[in-house]
Amino acid sequence: MSVVVVGAGLAGLTAARDLLARDIEVTVLEARDRVGGRTYGLEVAPGVWADAGAAYLGHRHTELTALLAELDLKTTPTAMAGDSRFELGGDVGTRAGRFPPLSAVALGELFDALTDLCAKVRVDAPWLTPDAADLDRRTAAGWAAEHLRHPDARRFFPLFLGEMMAADPAAVSVLHMAFYLRSGGGLRYLNAFAGGAQEDRIDGGAHQVCERLAARLDVRLGEPVRAIHQDGDGVIVVSASGQVRAGTVVVAVPPALAGAIDFRPGLPTPRARTATAPGCAVKVHLIYPRPLWREYGLSGWTVNATGPLLSTVDDSPPDGGAGVLTGFVTGSEAHRFAALPAAERRERVLAQAARLFPELPAPAQVHVTDWIGEEYSRGCYAALFGPGDWGLLGPGLIAPHGRVHWAGTETSTEFFGLMEGAIRSGHRAATAIAETQEEQ
Amino acid sequence: MNADALADLFRRVLENPDVSADSDFFVSGGDSLLATRVLSGIARDCGVELGFDDFLSAPTPGALAEKIASRA
Ligand SMILES: Cc1cc2nc3c(=O)[nH]c(=O)nc-3n(C[C@H](O)[C@H](O)[C@H](O)COP(=O)(O)OP(=O)(O)OC[C@H]3O[C@@H](n4cnc5c(N)ncnc54)[C@H](O)[C@@H]3O)c2cc1C
Repeated sequence: MSVVVVGAGLAGLTAARDLLARDIEVTVLEARDRVGGRTYGLEVAPGVWADAGAAYLGHRHTELTALLAELDLKTTPTAMAGDSRFELGGDVGTRAGRFPPLSAVALGELFDALTDLCAKVRVDAPWLTPDAADLDRRTAAGWAAEHLRHPDARRFFPLFLGEMMAADPAAVSVLHMAFYLRSGGGLRYLNAFAGGAQEDRIDGGAHQVCERLAARLDVRLGEPVRAIHQDGDGVIVVSASGQVRAGTVVVAVPPALAGAIDFRPGLPTPRARTATAPGCAVKVHLIYPRPLWREYGLSGWTVNATGPLLSTVDDSPPDGGAGVLTGFVTGSEAHRFAALPAAERRERVLAQAARLFPELPAPAQVHVTDWIGEEYSRGCYAALFGPGDWGLLGPGLIAPHGRVHWAGTETSTEFFGLMEGAIRSGHRAATAIAETQEEQ
Repeated sequence: MNADALADLFRRVLENPDVSADSDFFVSGGDSLLATRVLSGIARDCGVELGFDDFLSAPTPGALAEKIASRA
């Protein structure tokens, strides 16, 4: 029996690829007029693409790496040589390396406390962690107020969580924070460029992965799925242009969007709750004729308590044909920034760029990609599990609902929230479907 | 804190048993994030608060022990 996949992001397209490889007929229904979901390319100069969505990967992202090889895509290392700039209250300062001008002991206490938390969590089933109920009830903001005494640790914590998981500490449970950090390979791996999760980018843009996968598949764009009804013979999937019948369905969309689909019979456990917050990330690209900051011995890396850009990274193409500086606006700052009129956003970004890099001319272009407002993403990098979510949503997150299987980065306990998690979830769903079909 | 105790601390933070008194933290797999955890460990153990740059200039248990002795 044929399979319908809902959502043409990395998870859905990976599942579809695997099914097709096993000679199972598969159709992908995608709401948007493009594939890729939370990967999206912006052409900022002729032939130069910037990642408006996901960008970075590391060597532990083995399934993504395998897919890149299959699709003949190359990676390029994220450049990080030179001095950094920091604006952490007071004037902008320059320092060698990435270490911020804050008390190292205070930051060490923060990382000690987070390491202890991560060691506790049961990453394959967070709701079964000892003390799960308590860790699930409290927010990361409450945890910080209780555990962080030094003002430098309190100042750095929201910046760190914003960078790691695009979360406002008030929006996530302690359990989710610990789970997320552990799932992604631990604090050190998630935080690192060289040897860590930001080691490389995909040459030419991450969006190419989905584009190349889709080229071999039957993908129908502009087909938001509204309802999924199961009966004795199979499933009816209702989308914009009509209905499709299938034997099995893979729902590979973010949890809040999956929860908005009309399922019959209804789901035994919800996909998302009101406590489940959208990740809050806005990406800003500053485009220069070439990576001009390098000419001043600067890496382009900045960390700033005064927004809107809380950090910046040099994402220029390897040939240096354009200077691409990516700014991250995350957490509560992202909500404030996203609410501003476009002209004011631009003005604030330009004013900040002039403060951080007084030696550089103003960027030739400023691109703002607001993921919070995206109807078919509902936040990025990923859904944020708020207080109580893991206890209520966790046990039903992965188990199929009859003929409906789940995929999407939020259904992967390995590398949750990342491209790698999305791909692993797609493999998992396809394997489960192929196994049931073989049994029949 | 002496070089032996510091080597122990390095091993714990690096999760790497191959550390001796003259092992360079940053060559043995350490980075700035893990370095802060060594510095908080030192502060907890003997009350000496070193900065990140102090560690960069004394990245082995032996050199770090001397630096701590000169501060204590
Ligand atoms: C700004 C930003 C930065 C990021 N940085 C990184 C990074 O550096 N490294 C990394 O690994 N990850 C990063 N991520 C996360 C990464 O993008 C995601 O984990 C991954 O792309 C999720 O893939 P997915 O297939 O699970 O979901 P999605 O990509 O969200 O795919 C879901 C698809 O379903 C479609 N859809 C939704 N509702 C319906 C419906 N009702 N009917 C039909 N179709 C529907 C959507 O349009 C979408 O195409 C980042 C994300 C963002 C936004």
